[in-house]
Amino acid sequence: MPQILKYTEEELVALLKSNDKRAFEYLYDHYAAALYAVILKKIDDSALAEDILQEAFVKIWNHFSAYNASKGRLFTWMLNICRNLAIDTLRSKSFKNQSKIQRSEKAVDFISNNVNEKEKFDALGIRIHLDRLAHDQKQIVNMAYFEGFTQDEISKKLDIPLGTIKTKMRAAILALKKILQPYVE
Amino acid sequence: MNKEEFISSGLLELYATGISSPEESRLVEECLAKYPELREELNQIEISLENYAQANAIQPSALVKKKLMDKIFPEDKPQEGGAAIVTIQPPNSRLFIFKLWAAASVIFLLASIFLNYIMYHKYHDANEALQLARQKMDLQDQSNRALKEDVSVMTNKFAQPVVLSGTDKAPDAVAKIFWMKNTGQVYVDPTNLPQVPAGKQYQLWAIVDGKPLDAGMIKTEKGIYHIQKMKSFGKADAFAITLEKVGGSLTPTMDAMIVSTKL
Repeated sequence: MPQILKYTEEELVALLKSNDKRAFEYLYDHYAAALYAVILKKIDDSALAEDILQEAFVKIWNHFSAYNASKGRLFTWMLNICRNLAIDTLRSKSFKNQSKIQRSEKAVDFISNNVNEKEKFDALGIRIHLDRLAHDQKQIVNMAYFEGFTQDEISKKLDIPLGTIKTKMRAAILALKKILQPYVE
Repeated sequence: MNKEEFISSGLLELYATGISSPEESRLVEECLAKYPELREELNQIEISLENYAQANAIQPSALVKKKLMDKIFPEDKPQEGGAAIVTIQPPNSRLFIFKLWAAASVIFLLASIFLNYIMYHKYHDANEALQLARQKMDLQDQSNRALKEDVSVMTNKFAQPVVLSGTDKAPDAVAKIFWMKNTGQVYVDPTNLPQVPAGKQYQLWAIVDGKPLDAGMIKTEKGIYHIQKMKSFGKADAFAITLEKVGGSLTPTMDAMIVSTKL
């Protein structure tokens, strides 16, 4: 449970299931920036990325009943919606015509200076510490989690055997957890 | 695969990052159902990833939230902060425009009153000048007509001028009679008579067969002495003018005779 939440995730989910407007605003205020960054990894155009973010939140609101807490956390579900919308946009004919497909490498060392200052969550402090994370570990997490590449694509792009992705991913996330631990507790 | 083997396999991480294959996903879900403790393990992985995502957060433009909220809660639109400013502003600007109009109206009204005042005075002055001019013109017209009459009498081809000379009472006095031979009409020109005293009036007499007959009162109002029509006489021996009381006398006051002549 990240400390930035005022509601517990269970409370927030229950309120959203009952179409609570304030809970939705809270959801947006606390997750929009993180989700926007995810969309920006795939979509180079900030105006288009904002459109996708808006579309994603409309979808989250309209299909909230589809969220199943037993299958995973709320953020994971929302991230999947955003990532899939971004990928769908990239695959769409009109977007291909614009030839704005972003190269994955560009997003690997992606770091933002633009964070919500109100949040207690010290994003900047964490980022400094995230530099301790090995480059290839960051790459594997970013490509899978943020950019939605398949294991096959990751294997080819990072030139690592398909069978080792599982263990490398586990190592990366364990390292992440270690770095983030002081900020979460 | 036991619990520990499953945890160390990295399948939960693949599942959490969304890149597990359909078979792997099915396996994870089966294991999650079998070992509920794995759920907490997955939860921790998801939290780590979530915190990582939060650490990389980028604020979108504030407009996104506004557009989103407007789209999802359109009925709330007027009550929302941004819109509230819009609803408060129009009355303000309307009030301002009203005040502006009111101020303009008052200024216009005052200017109008001032102009009216000036114009009225100008009109009044002009009207007065016009009245004066009219009066002056009327007087001139009157005297012009009198003059024309005088001239017409004097230039009449039948007019016989008779001069009445001053008596001892008024040696300088002179009067003239124009006697129309065709009609017997008598005109008198009192221009050179002395100014008439108050309460008195000149009376013209015609002496016919030795008897004085009243020939009419001479009008000298407003100090104007001009040729005027008197009575008609077919014949007359002489004419005389006496100073009588206003309105005239039946017989002439002989010692008040100013001018006379004998034909």
